[in-house]
Amino acid sequence: MAEFPGENPQLTERLRDPKQCRAAFAEVIASYSEPLYRQIRRMVQNHDDANDLLQNTFMKAWQNLENFRGEAKLSTWLYKIAINESISHLERERRRLTLSLDDEQSHLAHTIEADEHIDGDALAQRLRRAVATLPEKQRLVFNMKYYDDMKYEDISEILGTSVGALKASYHVAIKKIEQFFSNTD
Amino acid sequence: MKAGNDILKQVARHDGMTVPDGYFADFAARMAASLEPTDFEKSADSVAASQPRHKNIWQRIRPYAYMAAMFAGVWCMLKMFTMISDPSQISLESNPTLADALTNEVFVNEYILDDIDQYDILDELYEEGYDIDALADSMMIYDQTYDSAVALPADLHNTTLMQ
Repeated sequence: MAEFPGENPQLTERLRDPKQCRAAFAEVIASYSEPLYRQIRRMVQNHDDANDLLQNTFMKAWQNLENFRGEAKLSTWLYKIAINESISHLERERRRLTLSLDDEQSHLAHTIEADEHIDGDALAQRLRRAVATLPEKQRLVFNMKYYDDMKYEDISEILGTSVGALKASYHVAIKKIEQFFSNTD
Repeated sequence: MKAGNDILKQVARHDGMTVPDGYFADFAARMAASLEPTDFEKSADSVAASQPRHKNIWQRIRPYAYMAAMFAGVWCMLKMFTMISDPSQISLESNPTLADALTNEVFVNEYILDDIDQYDILDELYEEGYDIDALADSMMIYDQTYDSAVALPADLHNTTLMQ
């Protein structure tokens, strides 16, 4: 698991300095590529799509760097952009393939089956398939809490949902995953 | 719930996803190289360009010198206009040469009064409504008689009478 780098106030300051922002942003790309990539890929389940969306994420962050005031955490800001890109992509795919939300879950399951970039851990693959059956919002909460071990407060800031609602959502997600494993044993 | 938690413990936050070898290093290099200049970044250049360069002493005082010269010019101009519009400011006390000249009767008669044109006096009196004919008897016109001074040219006189 790739953990998010800790907040670096000096890096944030350099990002807000027009003279130093390019060099600072190169450091951001190097530091945040992997955690952002994993977050995106857990949503779209496909390396090529994740690669494109990661590029879009950094491109949008770079173009809007002027608007990043440093009031929010850098990781929170990048996470928001990445998640918006992922959700927009899934919506585009639903429209392109004329899929319902239920169809999308089976489409994602099929994408996981066809994924070539896996390490052969069967249990991890089963968990991916279980997570793919969750509704979009529960999937996001589960990914951030379980895989990235993020605090509820940070998830709340990113998704704009209360901590209580996030805890309930995570609890329901685990119940559904347990159900998935019971049904597929 | 317990079974679900057991599975999550077994998986231990491992997602099983891999990427091509060297993907993240390549991605970071490609991405950093593909960043186009933004307006925010360009603002640094414009700020640097607007920074004042080192100026020598003349360049620094030049605006003040120009301003002082302008005020001096305006003051001289106002002074001149004031003197023209109010000749009383040209006092005889401050100009002894002029005072001497004006007390010299010969100078006044020969150089000042003699400069007055007789025809100008007649024109001025006529315009002010004096009866020139009544005055003519009492006027001493040098070099010319009153009649020749006021007479119109013959052809112009005829033209006027015919109208």
